[in-house]
Amino acid sequence: MRDDVAPLLEVENLRVRFGTQVDAVRGVSLTVRKGETHCLVGESGCGKSVSALAIMGLLTRSAARTADTLRFGGENLIGIKDRALAKLRGDRMAMIFQEPMTSLNPAFTVGSQLAEVLQRHRKATRAQSLERAAELLAKVGISNPGLRLGQFPHQLSGGLRQRVMIAMALMCDPELLIADEPTTALDVTVQAQILRLLLGLQRELGLAILLITHDLGVVARVAHRVSVMYAGEVVESATAPALFAGPTHPYTHGLLACVPVPGQVRRGEPLGSIPGTVPRLAPGLRGCAFRERCAHAVAACADAVPTHYRGPDHPYRCRLSSDWAEARAA
Amino acid sequence: MSADIVLHDITRVFEIRAGAFGDSRLLRAVDGVSVTIPAGTCLGIVGESGCGKSTLARIILGLLPPSSGDVMVDGKRLLDMDRRARARLIQPVFQDPYSSLNPRRRVRDIVGLPLTAQGIGGRGRADRVDEMLARVGLPGTIADRFPAQLSGGQRQRVAIARALVLRPRIVVCDEPTSALDVSVQAQILNLLAELQRDLGLTYVFVSHNLAVVEHICDEVAVMYLGRFVEHAATDDLFRAPTHPYTRALLASVLTPEPGLGVPDVGLGDVPPNPANIPPGCRFHPRCPIAEPACRTTTPDSRRFGSRTVECLLADEAGAGVAGPIAVAATWTE
Repeated sequence: MRDDVAPLLEVENLRVRFGTQVDAVRGVSLTVRKGETHCLVGESGCGKSVSALAIMGLLTRSAARTADTLRFGGENLIGIKDRALAKLRGDRMAMIFQEPMTSLNPAFTVGSQLAEVLQRHRKATRAQSLERAAELLAKVGISNPGLRLGQFPHQLSGGLRQRVMIAMALMCDPELLIADEPTTALDVTVQAQILRLLLGLQRELGLAILLITHDLGVVARVAHRVSVMYAGEVVESATAPALFAGPTHPYTHGLLACVPVPGQVRRGEPLGSIPGTVPRLAPGLRGCAFRERCAHAVAACADAVPTHYRGPDHPYRCRLSSDWAEARAA
Repeated sequence: MSADIVLHDITRVFEIRAGAFGDSRLLRAVDGVSVTIPAGTCLGIVGESGCGKSTLARIILGLLPPSSGDVMVDGKRLLDMDRRARARLIQPVFQDPYSSLNPRRRVRDIVGLPLTAQGIGGRGRADRVDEMLARVGLPGTIADRFPAQLSGGQRQRVAIARALVLRPRIVVCDEPTSALDVSVQAQILNLLAELQRDLGLTYVFVSHNLAVVEHICDEVAVMYLGRFVEHAATDDLFRAPTHPYTRALLASVLTPEPGLGVPDVGLGDVPPNPANIPPGCRFHPRCPIAEPACRTTTPDSRRFGSRTVECLLADEAGAGVAGPIAVAATWTE
């Protein structure tokens, strides 16, 4: 899909280590193309948020980041100066966080926080910036934007705050939007509205979206491409239709079995679940990190893990050959 | 012995003040809820944030007195019961196991505290704690740990052990899996279902996630601005959701089926405000199929078999209000 377009974001072998204790990201590779939604999915602690922060250069100083490739729109982000990166952030690449209440400043009005983005990056006047802010608030479906500009974050509902965050991210017409669990704190009804909004904007503006979520329902409905993360690694990556039609890594299988689907749930029958918990990510972790929770693990899983292919564009990291899943489905 | 819970026309009003000198206004969090929960069954209560579901849960727990109406358990008024007697009968499991467990106590003491409060100590207490920890699937070695040393799923198991250590007959679960990962959520749901079956518990299960509710509940009540707008057996509710709000909620659940796109549930972007309940049908400003009469006429609770619906447009068969909910065209090409 859209292989003809050069990737906007290219990440290869991204690693993040906190101090000497934790390897949070252990060799993540992914690409996002213009107009494409790439979903990074996994449970808490799998390193998906840290990967996003690492791409944006927003990690704390105690974190050590390395990568073979980290390119955005042709620019190399490895070793880029802080000032140059600060110019990119909020301008050509923008980010939305999970909790809109803590990412908005409670002491400033919505209008001044939105306007600041344009004033800073484009040297626009305050009046021009406010005009653009009002235009964007209307675009993200907020009625009476003039009134909202003068309000403080606490005067808005959760859904409105998240729309304000999206408007803020769009102020400078970014090419890439990194959204970290943008709808997790919201009601299902509002979640549907926000996701529709993001998809509409993507269609209109050709945005590339890297969407981080733990919700496979969201992934199935919005993703073009999916990377499943476990313990700091991408364990399986495929186009959304391929992944949901043929999940191949045992972890992806387990994750899908855990999701209750309305109308398909039998009461009295247990839901599928994955026993155990995520391992500690101490440095020097060898072999498959999922092996202790995996029903298919053998002694060899403690050594190296091969990368197999279900299709040309569907790699997964597991010793099992791709026909095990097909055999199981049959 | 049965432990039917009967709620009789429960209302809870809060007074809210806009600023130190502002006018006070009344917020009707729960507005006339009547329901009977038979012993050994599970009632799910679903709705968006601010619909009053947690307030109702606190009323059923006896943590909050209703402004009017009565909660009866076994034919006795909940508010007349002694606090200790109530604790032996009803116990809570809350949403966030990170804030509902005392971080300075060991697991053994957290689970044993309800026993201590009832004057049970010594060997008897220790045995009951060990038995309960094993019952919820925790290894005995965990008893001497602090909550900070446990994972989210283990903490929620501790919270469940604490709720069950007095052998209550009713457990009120307020969003017990919302803070957990899906794989752990499934473990906890399976545990709750198993405990209910083995111990004959009565559950009140509050959640915003319809899919979770379907898995564990016998009956489901859909709450909107303080009222049950639809209440039916779980299978009926999911097979033929009747109230337009139930249909919108159900349509908003994103199932892991690629290619279906994100539905337009047609609820508009104005969230409901419990401090300003609209006249007529309280759902009419967001209802995709509202008619002029809905603005002025308050719908009665209509009965269709075992289902009750508060909608003027619900038809006799109870099979659903006309007008499908639009689903967006496929987004993933």
